[in-house]
Amino acid sequence: MTNYLIRRLFQMALVVFLAALFTYFLFNIAPGGPLTGLAQQQRRLNRDDLARLRAGYELDLYWPVRFSRWLIGEPRGPITIAGKPIFANVAVGCYLTRDAGFTKNTDGTLTPVAAGCDQYEYLSDIQKYHPLIKTSNGILRLDFGLSSVILRDRPVLELLKSRIGPTLLLMGLATLLSLIIAVPIGIYSAVRQYSRFDYFFTTISFIGSAMPVFFFGLLLILGLSVFPAELQSTVPWIPRLPPGFAVAVRDYDVASWLQNVSAGSLLDRLLHLVMPVAVLTFAYMAGWSRFVRSSMLEVMRQDYVRTARAKGLFERVVIVKHALRNALIPFVTIVVLQLPGIFAGAILTETVFAWPGMGRLYFDALNRSDWPVALSVIFIEAVLTVFATLLGDILYTVVDPRIKYS
Amino acid sequence: MTTAARIVPVRNRAEDATQENQLALIARRFLRHRLATASLILILFVFVASLFAPVITVFPRDAIDISSANRPAPPGVVDSQGRVHILGIDQLGRDLFTRVLYAARVSLSIAFAVVLVSETFGALVGAVAGYYGGGIDMIISRIIEFMLTIPTLPILLIISAILIKSDTVLPLPGFVTKTLSAVMLAPEREVQKVVVLILILIVFGWMGAARLMRGMALSESKKDYVEALRSVGASDVRIIFRHIIPNGLAPILVNASLNLGGVIVLASALSFLGLGVQDPTPTWGNILALSQSYMSQHPWMPLVPGVPLVIVSIGFNFVGDGLRDALDPRLKR
Repeated sequence: MTNYLIRRLFQMALVVFLAALFTYFLFNIAPGGPLTGLAQQQRRLNRDDLARLRAGYELDLYWPVRFSRWLIGEPRGPITIAGKPIFANVAVGCYLTRDAGFTKNTDGTLTPVAAGCDQYEYLSDIQKYHPLIKTSNGILRLDFGLSSVILRDRPVLELLKSRIGPTLLLMGLATLLSLIIAVPIGIYSAVRQYSRFDYFFTTISFIGSAMPVFFFGLLLILGLSVFPAELQSTVPWIPRLPPGFAVAVRDYDVASWLQNVSAGSLLDRLLHLVMPVAVLTFAYMAGWSRFVRSSMLEVMRQDYVRTARAKGLFERVVIVKHALRNALIPFVTIVVLQLPGIFAGAILTETVFAWPGMGRLYFDALNRSDWPVALSVIFIEAVLTVFATLLGDILYTVVDPRIKYS
Repeated sequence: MTTAARIVPVRNRAEDATQENQLALIARRFLRHRLATASLILILFVFVASLFAPVITVFPRDAIDISSANRPAPPGVVDSQGRVHILGIDQLGRDLFTRVLYAARVSLSIAFAVVLVSETFGALVGAVAGYYGGGIDMIISRIIEFMLTIPTLPILLIISAILIKSDTVLPLPGFVTKTLSAVMLAPEREVQKVVVLILILIVFGWMGAARLMRGMALSESKKDYVEALRSVGASDVRIIFRHIIPNGLAPILVNASLNLGGVIVLASALSFLGLGVQDPTPTWGNILALSQSYMSQHPWMPLVPGVPLVIVSIGFNFVGDGLRDALDPRLKR
């Protein structure tokens, strides 16, 4: 087991590194970024100003160097061993770039100039152009860098801190609710296979897993917020739920029997949770109850279940102690793999309901080309996914002692 | 000679008869699944309607009706020239019925293209992995596992944010864009972006088929008939294409049908988030996204693209379920 864990940890580190490298590379070739359109907006900027601005966003460094600085915060300057700097004159970037164009000769002819670099930047120069105040310690040391658009020049960590709470609340609640609903439905559908109950819930969960969450969200907003708002003038007792955000800005009425819900109160927060939680719960519950059902059906066919019945055990004991325990083994992995999602949030649901969570933050970051924020969210998710996979595999041995890793 | 000539057609007829029986059996089993049959009819209805889109509606796809004063306007509104907009007009004054029909063309062709290519590719890769086993299988299985652990939507969003928003033009063979532009009735310039989306969705969509086919190939390749084939000198290519893949085709077909629904939803989700097919090209997702901001005044608006989207998505799932029942040889009768 120890050997297995050590090997797994190495593999996990490799996977996280590759994922980080891949996403960093993708963002590197992405159009847009903090300096888009700057040269057009401000004609008076000369080359030196532009170079300084570029250096401010580390855009002067080559991207593998930038990646290394983003990941571990190195290199920060020349590497000294025994007082002697080594690799000091290795080029790590280009401070003054030269665009492709033409130069006019004295006789009026044009000579083409290839794009290139007028002033290279060497390892020894890093401290000059990138003073330590602005450098990041590297994401591995939990320094997520600075946001470039959403909260300009403020730490990404601030954004993450403000968004993690709502996401944990929303996703945690939805996961818990769908577990509570899905497992009993799955068991009952399997035990009473082909009964009316089974047909009904199989159909419901089919619809639930095929339903686009964003449209289901819009339907809920229509049904619980837009239509009641129109009907309330004639039928004042119809409740109207708030359609978006996590808290209200000012007090509001839900229905004639529930007036003056004060903004920020517990009731207000709960009312805002209803629709997004319903959407997520419906989607998860659908998939999970089907999984539990088929897994239960598989187990109920086994010989040991027949043996248990033949021993004369109560049906309840057979189902709970013999069948369910075995049926839940594969289900554990499914639920554990869901854990990273609890932190990363649900992009579509959070967007539809304007929920201030991580998923929406990620979407905003992509839309507004705030690469440091998007990278941080992706990196966190990659790390969590890798750990969740490991946790799932370990839990597998706990719930099923027949499986051994070596 | 004469006897042989007489026997051959007789045997052929007998084979045809069993073939027909097999198809009829599958069809009969499928028709017993009432929800699947109803879904198939609804999907065919949407498909045929989108096929005859230019005939059914009098409006061009992007035509802006400036005669109507209030935009968006609800379904059934009549403009100054006396033409009825069956499903209303959008915020720019375009006829929504027309746009939803053309969007069906775009969404369905994206789904069919993605599923066709990714299932074929997945089946091939899976068959190779399962048939040869060993190192090849190890590598392919690791790749599949890795791709399956990647959270799809976040990565899809990055890639489409980069590829679809940038102006770089992919070097695509002319016949691809020409065919798709004829199928979707959209200018080639717009088709470029759609092809990018199709390629992205293929990259993230082949693993399911590969896993299914790998499992089938793994168990088939150990059977005696494969050994017999090898002993009479059949090549690996022949065994894979003529025996392994046909044997594993049923679950692939089911998976393809389920995937059609999945791809339509995923493509719509990307459009809905503004990172899929962009506005002048209509898709159910981007019509839905545009309608979101007018929802409180015009509650009918999200329903116009949403209802066909839901029908087709749920429909393909039920058809897949029906196919699974129909193709399962263990259910005799």
